[in-house]
Formats: sequence, structure tokens, C-alpha cells
Amino acid sequence: MYSYIIRRLVFGAFTVIGVSIIVFTVLRILPGDPLVAIFGPEGFTKLSEAERARYMAELGLSDPLILQYLSWVGDIARGNFGRSFFRAESVGEMILRRGPLTAEIALLSVILSWLAGIPVAIVSALRPNSLGDNVARFFSILFLAVPGFWLGMLIVLAALFLFGYRAPLTGPSLWADPGGNLQVVIGPAVVLGLGQAAYIARMARSSLLEVIREDYVRTARAKGLSRRPVISFHALPNALLPVITLSGILLGFVLAGSIPVERAFGTPGLGYAMFTAVRERDIFVMQNLVFLYAVVFVLLNILVDLTIAWLDPRIRYR
Amino acid sequence: MTATEPEAAYPLPQPGPTAESSRLRARGGLATFIRRSPLSAFWGCIAAAIIVMAIAAPMLAPFEPLKSDFRAMTKPPNERHYFGTDQIGRDVLSRVIYGSRASLTVALGAVLFGTTLGALWGLASGYFGGRFDIISQRIIEFLQSFPDLILAMAIAMALSAGFGTVIVAIAITRIPFGGRVIRAVVLSLKEMSFVEAARGLGASHLRIMLRHILPQCVAPYLILATTHLGVAIIIEAALGFLGVGIPPPTPTWGNMLADSLNAGLVPPWWLVLFPGLAITITVLAFNLLGDGIRDILDPRLRGAMPRRAAL
Repeated sequence: MYSYIIRRLVFGAFTVIGVSIIVFTVLRILPGDPLVAIFGPEGFTKLSEAERARYMAELGLSDPLILQYLSWVGDIARGNFGRSFFRAESVGEMILRRGPLTAEIALLSVILSWLAGIPVAIVSALRPNSLGDNVARFFSILFLAVPGFWLGMLIVLAALFLFGYRAPLTGPSLWADPGGNLQVVIGPAVVLGLGQAAYIARMARSSLLEVIREDYVRTARAKGLSRRPVISFHALPNALLPVITLSGILLGFVLAGSIPVERAFGTPGLGYAMFTAVRERDIFVMQNLVFLYAVVFVLLNILVDLTIAWLDPRIRYR
Repeated sequence: MTATEPEAAYPLPQPGPTAESSRLRARGGLATFIRRSPLSAFWGCIAAAIIVMAIAAPMLAPFEPLKSDFRAMTKPPNERHYFGTDQIGRDVLSRVIYGSRASLTVALGAVLFGTTLGALWGLASGYFGGRFDIISQRIIEFLQSFPDLILAMAIAMALSAGFGTVIVAIAITRIPFGGRVIRAVVLSLKEMSFVEAARGLGASHLRIMLRHILPQCVAPYLILATTHLGVAIIIEAALGFLGVGIPPPTPTWGNMLADSLNAGLVPPWWLVLFPGLAITITVLAFNLLGDGIRDILDPRLRGAMPRRAAL
């Protein structure tokens, strides 16, 4: 197990380095002139030569690319996420202030997706092609197609028209004001949770259908064990392994999905900060946030892999 | 999706069919498709209708999508404007119809470039193996370390906005998936005896790849490509919604949703409902069509779970 953990971590470290190179390539090298990315093509043409040179020197953009890359990585390693081009607050402070809200949304949405997806999958798998199964399948296919941010806009509108309710615009922390915090978090979490629940239900259903046909399940039934304990203690634990893996992958997509969804709800989380950075063409903030999201995604996947290895000895010893 | 038994999964190509027999088979195939999964066939028709709508947009749209009518600003749906008008008096129905053009072009372009490039890459890396394969796998892994919307956002922001940019941004996020799936198929295919036979006959690598292995990859590629169409449409809409998509005033569904939030504190419901509905129906159509194609092309599902897997 320990050798597996170490192997996985070394692998993860390599991935993080690769990710940092891709982020740097995309946001620093791809735009050609970073000033074009910051000011936009029109704004760029309005700058005088002297201004351009001054900005370039001020932002450290006239150094060779490899030096720029190294200084960026060094900054991040020292925990210095830099400063927005447009705002006083440093990116590090912003992440600490807004991050918890988005993390809460992501976590809550995963919990909701399991609460909604797994029971549906069990009902579907035990009675394939029943009315319940078909209804469940219809909804899972529907939620795969509905864009989360649109669903969010509809929910905001419906709450406003039907109940005259609008979620508070500030995001109080969970400890200071649990009620207010929940009002802000619940909308995005439900939308993102439903999207994941569709995948979870689909995966859990097919995985459960496979496991139910295994010999050991039949043996347990033949020994006279009744249906319910066989399903919940024999079949389900094995059927859930691929679902855990899927859930980890989906968490990454929740991180991404939370950007437009937070925009739709007006949630003051990290996703909204990302939206603002994109709108303001703030490549430095963008660079650090994209890197942060990717690193979190990589770490989550390592965590999921380790969980699976811990639960399933077949993987550990391979 | 890994093909563990490609022999069972993807039947070997039959010796050269005549024109007539292939036409018969095509018609039989369509009939089978409709009989086997009527739901997929129905949604396939909807997908076709959406494509026709995109092509024939100028004939179908009742108004110019860009023309403002300052006497009818932010009007709810009425008998003149079936879907209402937006805050500068543009007809929402016409904009939704024209929006299908942007969505479908971007999705098709992204899949044609991205999924195909990924598939060819997977073909080469699976076939040659060795160091090339290891390096390719690492690069693909790095690309997959980004949630796809975030990578697309970063690329779309770095290159300045435009049609081509959005296609490239989404295409790059499609590459790893194509690479992974096709590589897995090729890995099992290349161990098979017909490949060995071809090599024994002295066929070159290029010939084996293109004439013997590539045709077997068509089925998984088609399944992948239809699913990716749906994903690409959603990413395109999200990019438009976040303001890094195709720049306004081009009507796209994502742009329309983004515009609706600028209409005031509370967006009028018709500006929100109709573009989103268009996205949902289009994605639903392509997803269900993809499911139907999977049922037909992947006989493992057909044999094992006769009526269960067919939706």
C-alpha cells in the first residue's frame, strides 16, 4: 500500500509540473503579446510605445520566457499568488475569502448527487424496464443535456416570481451565519448535484446490474439470505467502486461547472472570481486560478485513487 | 470504454460489396435502426431538423436577427414576435434560429478537429507503442488534468475572441478523450491475427494502420463523436455565457443568455427560457442519437442486454 501511495504521489508531482507548463504556455505564450490579452486589441493600439515598454518592464514581461516561468513557479511555491491587475486585493487573499464557498458548494453537490443518484440506481437496477426505471432513465438523460447555468437562471427566476425570494448577495461564512450561508450555497449545489446525479445514477445502475449477476450474489441468495441484506451488504459495496472513481472525475467538472453556475446565481465564490478575471482579461489572476483548479483536480484524483486502492486490494497489489 | 474483445465487438469488414447490396444493406440498416430504437430514431429526426434549421435560417427566421425595432423593446411573446423581443428590440425567435448556426458550426468543427486529431493520435500511439506511446500518454494526462471548460476558457481568453478561436479552444479539450478511447481499441486490435497476417505479407506500418486497423476504429469513433457533439454545444454555450465565446452581436445561445442578465436586475423570462430550451433540445437530440448508434454498432450491448440497454 505504501509503495502504491508513493508511486501515486510522485506521479501526481509530475502531472502538476506538466500542468504548470501547459498553463504557462496557454496564458503567457499563446496570446503572443500579453498586453494584447490584457488591454484587448483596441486598447493595445491606443498605448504609446513608451507605455508599452513601461508595462512590460513593470510586469516582468520583458524577461526571457524561461525566467518568467521560473519566477512564476517560484512565487507559487512561496505561496505568493500575485496581485490582480485591476484590484487591490491579492489573489491569495481572494482565494482564501472566496474559496471556502466554492468548496462548500462542490462538497454539498457531491453529497446531493449520491443521495439522489444511488437510491434511483438501486430501484432501476432491481426492476429493469419497470415504470420507475424508465422515469429515472428519462430524468438522467434529461439532466445530462440541461446546461447547469441555465437551470440556475430558471431557479432564480422561479424563486423570484413564485415566492418573491432572492438569495442574499453576500456570502457569509458557514460558522458566522449558517442560515445565510446555506441560502447562498444551496442553489448552485442543487444544480450541480443534479447534473452529477444523472451520471452517478447511470453508472451505479449498470454497475449494480453487473454485480447482481455475479456468482457470490447468487450463492448468498441460495443460502437463504433475503434480498435486502444481499443487495445492501453484498452487492452494493462492490458496485459502488466504479461510482467512487466517477465521482472524483465529476468533482473536477463541478469545479469547472461552478464558474457559469455561480455567475447565474450571482454567488460570490471562486467561480465568480474566475468569471470576473475572464471578463476583465486579467491573465495573471486567470493563470493562477486555472493552475489552482487543475492542481485541486489532480489532488482529488489522487485521493480517489488512494481511496479505491484502500477499498479494493486487487488494485493495490497490481 | 475499453474494447476487451474487439473480434466480438466489431465484426470484420466483409469482402467488397457491390453497389446494390450496399444500398440494400443501408436501407435495411436504417429500418433496423428505427425498429430497434424508435426513440433514438425520433430524436435523430429532431437532430436532422435542427441541422436543417441552421442551414435554412435566413428562410425560416421571421425577422433579421441583428435588426433592432425600437418600438418593441423587451416585449413578452405576442402574435408578432412569438418568442418576444430583447432589450434592444431584436426578435428572440429569429435569434434562436440563427443561434443554431453558431452552435452547430462550432460543435462540428471542434469534433472534426479535436476528436479526429485525438483519434489519429491514439491510433499512432497505440500502434507504435514504446517511447512515443509513453510520452503521448503523459501529454494526454496533462491535458486531462484540466476540467474541460476551464481549459477551453483559458485558451479562448488567450487567443482573442472569434469563431476559429472557440473551435480551437473546444477542439483541444476533445483531443485526450479521442486519444484514450481509440488507443485502447488499437491496443487490442494490433495483437490480432489479421494484423499479424498483413505484417507477414510485408505490408508497411502505414498500410496496416490505414487499411486494416483504421476501419475497425470507425464504430467507436462515431459513438465518441456524437457524444462529443453534445458536450461541445454545452461548452460553447458556457463560453458565450461567460463572455469568451463568439463575440456579440453574432447571435449564439450562450450570448443570448449572457445578454439577458444585462437586461436589468431581473432578466425577463422569455430571454432566459427560449435559448436554454434550444440548447437542451439540441444536446438531448445528439445524445440520444449517439445512444442509438451505440446500440447498433456495439453488439456486445445488443446481445447481453436485449431490451435493457436500448434507450
